[in-house]
Amino acid sequence: MIATWYGIVSLMLIIYVALDGRNFGAGMLHWLVARTPEERRQVVAAIGPLWSWHEVWLVGFGGTLVAVFPRLMASAFAGYYLALFLILWCLILRGISLEVGGHINDRLWQGFWDFVFVFSNFLLAILFGAAAGNVVRGVPLDTHGNFSMAFFTNFNVRGYVGLLDWYTVSVALFSAVMLAAHGATYLTLKTEGPVHDRSAMWGKYLWAAVVPLFIAISVESWVVRPDLPEHAIQDPVCWLGLLVVIVSTIMLISGLRTRRELRAFVGSNGLLVGLLATGAAAIFPVMLHSTLAPENSLTAYAVAANPRALRIASIWWPMGFVLATTYFVFISLRYVGKVSVKRDNQGFY
Amino acid sequence: MTSNLVDPAFWSRLQFAFTLTYHYLFPQLTMGLAWFLVYWKWRALRTGDEKYNQGVRFWAKIFGLNFAVGVVTGIPMEFQFGTNWADFTRYAGGVIGQTLAMEGMFAFFLESAFVGALIWGEKRLGPRYHFLAALGVAIGSWLSGYFILVTNAFMQHPVGFQIEANGSLGIASLRTYLLNPWAWVQFLHNQMAALVTGSFVVTAVGAFYTLRGLHPIQARLYLRAGTLAALVASVLVAFPTGDQQAKMVGRHQPVTLAAMEGRFVGGPVAGVAVIGQPNIPDRRLENSIEVPGALSFLAYGTFQSYVHGLGEYPEETWPDNIELLYYSFHLMITLGTLFILLMACAGFQNWRGRLETNTWLLWVLMLAFPFPYIANTLGWMTAELGRQPWLVYGLFHTRDGYSKVVSNGDTIFTLIGFIGLYFVLGLLFLFLVGREIAHGPDEEVVAGRGQESFV
Repeated sequence: MIATWYGIVSLMLIIYVALDGRNFGAGMLHWLVARTPEERRQVVAAIGPLWSWHEVWLVGFGGTLVAVFPRLMASAFAGYYLALFLILWCLILRGISLEVGGHINDRLWQGFWDFVFVFSNFLLAILFGAAAGNVVRGVPLDTHGNFSMAFFTNFNVRGYVGLLDWYTVSVALFSAVMLAAHGATYLTLKTEGPVHDRSAMWGKYLWAAVVPLFIAISVESWVVRPDLPEHAIQDPVCWLGLLVVIVSTIMLISGLRTRRELRAFVGSNGLLVGLLATGAAAIFPVMLHSTLAPENSLTAYAVAANPRALRIASIWWPMGFVLATTYFVFISLRYVGKVSVKRDNQGFY
Repeated sequence: MTSNLVDPAFWSRLQFAFTLTYHYLFPQLTMGLAWFLVYWKWRALRTGDEKYNQGVRFWAKIFGLNFAVGVVTGIPMEFQFGTNWADFTRYAGGVIGQTLAMEGMFAFFLESAFVGALIWGEKRLGPRYHFLAALGVAIGSWLSGYFILVTNAFMQHPVGFQIEANGSLGIASLRTYLLNPWAWVQFLHNQMAALVTGSFVVTAVGAFYTLRGLHPIQARLYLRAGTLAALVASVLVAFPTGDQQAKMVGRHQPVTLAAMEGRFVGGPVAGVAVIGQPNIPDRRLENSIEVPGALSFLAYGTFQSYVHGLGEYPEETWPDNIELLYYSFHLMITLGTLFILLMACAGFQNWRGRLETNTWLLWVLMLAFPFPYIANTLGWMTAELGRQPWLVYGLFHTRDGYSKVVSNGDTIFTLIGFIGLYFVLGLLFLFLVGREIAHGPDEEVVAGRGQESFV
């Protein structure tokens, strides 16, 4: 039961990253792929109508986390205090820049909100990457399951670590490059003309950069947490995740080669999902690893709500998930194909 | 909030109160306005009259801005359960997590999937699906309100829980928890109040255009629909929902009722103070003018009923800021009464066919829109200040719920950050909504059936 819920909560976060990751990526590439105001409107139109739908997965994840793992929410969120508020403020700025940018047809106004859009998305990709690095590396949990930490300490990965160290910074960098590649693949699928061509070009460069970075952080992860690969080898879910990664990589490469944009984008999503799922399975059952002493680590079993709460949630959660998927299919079918600035009312008011 | 400034609970409370109060300025309009969009979309489908679609297009833009600010200011709320109220989450997360998660799964997905379609998707969706999108958004926003009010109702009047071996709370019965009578009463009261806000805003824009002599067809539509909905909602928010809410407080939180009324000594034939200031040190209500027996009647159904006074309870169980609670409650009641009078007046003028020509009334209707926001805020202040000193009523004190690992400085820093960010957000919102209103609805000259309403 608890393992299943660990899977569900991970799934919701992974869906969020795959969905909002494309927006982070598109946001980071905004200036590079779109030069004129009309081109920039095209980028906004590609993500505009659906950004709140993507962001809601983060809220769904947060709510579910409180319902099934309340003590993890309490320890982790209080511990990551300032970093979380930074993420929240960036999410506010990102959403607002998307909403208000198109309201006034003015160069300065547009330029300002484009800057906010690029800046907040870039910071979000970095922060979520650093957060992922923190989950793998662990945090200085004490015997009561509490921690609070500085943005950085001595950049080492053991003992009283900070939010940023050599490992989490490299994961953050990897995250930014990979999500940018993901966003480029999405923009290639959704746009036309010069934005499309530039996105396709950047997609190729970025995916090429992902390969060495991926090898680097794999080795780093092994150095930081030597116990994880041993654990992962015995876990069938990790093998499954690895299979997804391999199949997705093949789809992505063949999609990029043959200019089948949908195939490439599916591959890109699959790659993200596969990597994150493998990581999530590898660290299970520990949800928050302690860098001070392994026995302080918070496992899913220790932070879960009572069995009745999990049973109740397993009645309504599938219903909610089916409904959410239905809306998603409905909305996605309406937004198939290239965006058109005019038809999607993403021109100026 | 008598606590001193080095008390970490105070800063976490202030931060939550500030971010929540600010956030709730937006959903209350969303929840009220959504049903106008549904109604107009439905009328457009039925009659084919283009004026309804023009109205929807205009209000959807304002709805969209409002919704966006509501979403971005709402996400921090959920995270603050973990960041600032970690010990509360440890204690009660096993219960309230259920509704926080259900809100995401059942309400937010519905709302956010269709809000983009509602605002931008008219051409992609076609009229029928566009109507359904409006309906989906309206239902989603109300469902979200229900789940959040169940969560709040649990803090006000905990039901359906059990105490676990480690002392924390776990859910015992989802049905009891979801059907908490407090939640239903509070939900209906709150939703009617949201409808008051929505209809006052629609009315105000209608009055503004009428006074300006702009967009006559649209102005008429807003003014009529707005004043009618406002009258109905203003009455319903007072009776039966507000009345039931007060009775609920009297039944389950008698000490709160005593504090709301500044009533220090218990007794029968209790009055409602129309004017008066509570003097806590001397334990009396200064220069009060009371309607005798009114409180007994409102709270317990007869003029003779005994109403408890604060003196009957130990001081540590009193709400910790009685003055603020008293003023919030009384000003809310006053505003609610004025809303009914104003909208009854508007309804009467409408019936006589003079609504659009009565300049005085139009001025008042135009300028009245901020007051439902104030009344809604005061209502929530009454609910939350009245719950003190408890976080979960009778079970868990507010002073025990904050995150022990977060320092005061961190909380003050993030509070200031929110104040700054939200100030800019507020300016931006007002500026852009002002622009939309100044720009006005796009009235294309429509051939055919739309012409009939040009009279």
